[in-house]
Amino acid sequence: MAERIDGVRKLFTSKSARVDTNRGDLYYQQLFDTCRARLDALREQPAVNRLDFDSLLTDEGQDRREFMKWVSAVTAMLMLPPMFTPLVAEAAELMNRLPVVWLELQDCAGNSEALLRSDGPKIDEIVLDIISLEFHESLMAPSGHQAEKQLEDAMEHFKGNYLLFVEGSIPVGAGRDWCTIGASGETFLDHLNRVAENAAAVVAVGACATFGGIPAAAPNPTGAVGVMDVVKGKPVINIPACPANPANMVGVVLHYALTGQVPELDSLLRPKFAFGYRIHDNCERRAHFDAGEYVEEWGDEGAKNNFCLYKMGCKGPMTFNNCSIVRYNEGVNWPIGVGRGCIGCSEPDFWDKYAYERPMANANIKAPTGGVEKTVDQFGLGLLTAAGIGIGIHAVASAVAGKREEGGEG
Amino acid sequence: MKSGRKQVKRMTGAMRIIHWANAISMVAAVITGLYIGHPYYQTLIADGAVDKYVMAWNRWGHFIVAIIFDVTSIVVAYLYFFSRFEKPYKKLIPTGKNVAEFGEVLLNLVTLNRRKKFDSTHSDSFNTVYFTIFHVLLVWMLFTGLQLYVHGLESGESSIGAWWPALLHLATDWTIPVTGGTLMDVRISHHETMWLIVTWVAFHIYYQIWRTIFWKEGDIAIVFGGSKFAKEQES
Ligand code: SF4
Ligand code: SF4
Repeated sequence: MAERIDGVRKLFTSKSARVDTNRGDLYYQQLFDTCRARLDALREQPAVNRLDFDSLLTDEGQDRREFMKWVSAVTAMLMLPPMFTPLVAEAAELMNRLPVVWLELQDCAGNSEALLRSDGPKIDEIVLDIISLEFHESLMAPSGHQAEKQLEDAMEHFKGNYLLFVEGSIPVGAGRDWCTIGASGETFLDHLNRVAENAAAVVAVGACATFGGIPAAAPNPTGAVGVMDVVKGKPVINIPACPANPANMVGVVLHYALTGQVPELDSLLRPKFAFGYRIHDNCERRAHFDAGEYVEEWGDEGAKNNFCLYKMGCKGPMTFNNCSIVRYNEGVNWPIGVGRGCIGCSEPDFWDKYAYERPMANANIKAPTGGVEKTVDQFGLGLLTAAGIGIGIHAVASAVAGKREEGGEG
Repeated sequence: MKSGRKQVKRMTGAMRIIHWANAISMVAAVITGLYIGHPYYQTLIADGAVDKYVMAWNRWGHFIVAIIFDVTSIVVAYLYFFSRFEKPYKKLIPTGKNVAEFGEVLLNLVTLNRRKKFDSTHSDSFNTVYFTIFHVLLVWMLFTGLQLYVHGLESGESSIGAWWPALLHLATDWTIPVTGGTLMDVRISHHETMWLIVTWVAFHIYYQIWRTIFWKEGDIAIVFGGSKFAKEQES
């Protein structure tokens, strides 16, 4: 209950859900000046790794033209006017001044995979290569005490300056003591809190780190929660989805490099530039939805004609994410594009409340009492039947009693 | 008019209009709402998409009746307190008299009209409470429905201005944490409440017919002509 009251309070104190893409010339001019100053300051700082963006670009066979195309797309994604394009390009080049620490907790490493996917590096990945990844247990060569030492060094050296990326949920219930890290056996909870202490901001990536994800699905054996339920007193940015879209990770890092601030967030702490839009409203199948043309069965005529997947369980109408705009794998495709519905992976409790691949009307939703699985419709029909039976009994009894009365009178 | 009975006015014209507007809206809302939740009839694939627009029409209908509902809810809420005819809120206050009357009406129902110790010429407190429950359910439908709706206006703009989505967010965002934390919970609650309303209606229709038959005061006529009969010199 206290949680819900808290939730209501948060909603009312958060900024409106409005996605404001035009804030007026004055605003952008001021922002431009801030960014200019920030980038100059960043340039003064020594690079934390020796990677040079330009040579990396050429090494990977990308030309400047490609890069500038990418830059203008990212500028638009961040909802900045075109005058910011050169600044965004500069921010990408200065990325090696930005130390990043990446923790993996209760996760499947899917977000690390997404970050690193190796279908020939594209500009997103080059940009992410160049951020100074000071610590990432799965990717780095050292292990054990050496790895721990590296983390300590990074935390000390970049105190208050590094971005902390967290992948995976944090067990705070029964699982709290089972999940430990490193030779010292520090629990996930303590580990996260200690590393977050000196971070500039904490970025939770993927469904697990943001809202608990699959580890937190019922019955949540480890008592898993997301980063925002644990880390206090630091800005937390949520980039949910399963996995988080690398474009959104790049967007957040670039935004931070550019402005030194976290992007504007919605009430669930998701950046509005990425999660301000509903899948359904930017879906290529939307016209079929309005027309009432649905895939009725996998592989039917409707499926061949790219009809709407609503009746196959698509949760696009209640899911906020930009996959329908930026897509995955360098814009090659996305779930609905390949012919399956959205399962709402960027929403809280998605596994329990969204991910059943059936339409809502056929889904078994947990009864509020927990335990028994019932659909709302079964419950409703049951209630109506009970009322009907009650009415029936009452009606028959009334009829019998009425006759008796009349008989008595007569 | 049977001898020994007098006609008593129970509903004004406005009240009857509201009653029937609600009844028709509800039937339309249930039919279209079930389609929106689970499109239960198919369109012919051979038609051009521009010619059918089936979901869009269902949503259109659903929203139009929802607006009628919303507006009548506001009128009803006003009449609760300021009606010059009967002020229902007076019957809601749990005074000794009202509680006793509530109990008597309930006893009348469960003893199958063997006991009738209340004045049936006016709206009794049992009926008032029962109707209030209906309006509370409707208001809940209004808030959850508008919450589901406002997310289609994420740009913050609407055909009638930016104030409308802003107002809707302000007025309905709280339904998310209250129902369980996600938009899906709001949707489930909206759907579940429909069943409560349908059940309410089933009992409502039954009870009004039952009263008409057993009280022999022509109660069913209230929603048509606005008045019923009461036995003279009784109570
Ligand atoms: S496929 Fe899903 S997101 Fe796309 S229009 Fe249909 S319901 Fe909406
Ligand atoms: S389409 Fe839906 S389920 Fe798929 S990645 Fe996007 S938000 Fe997640």
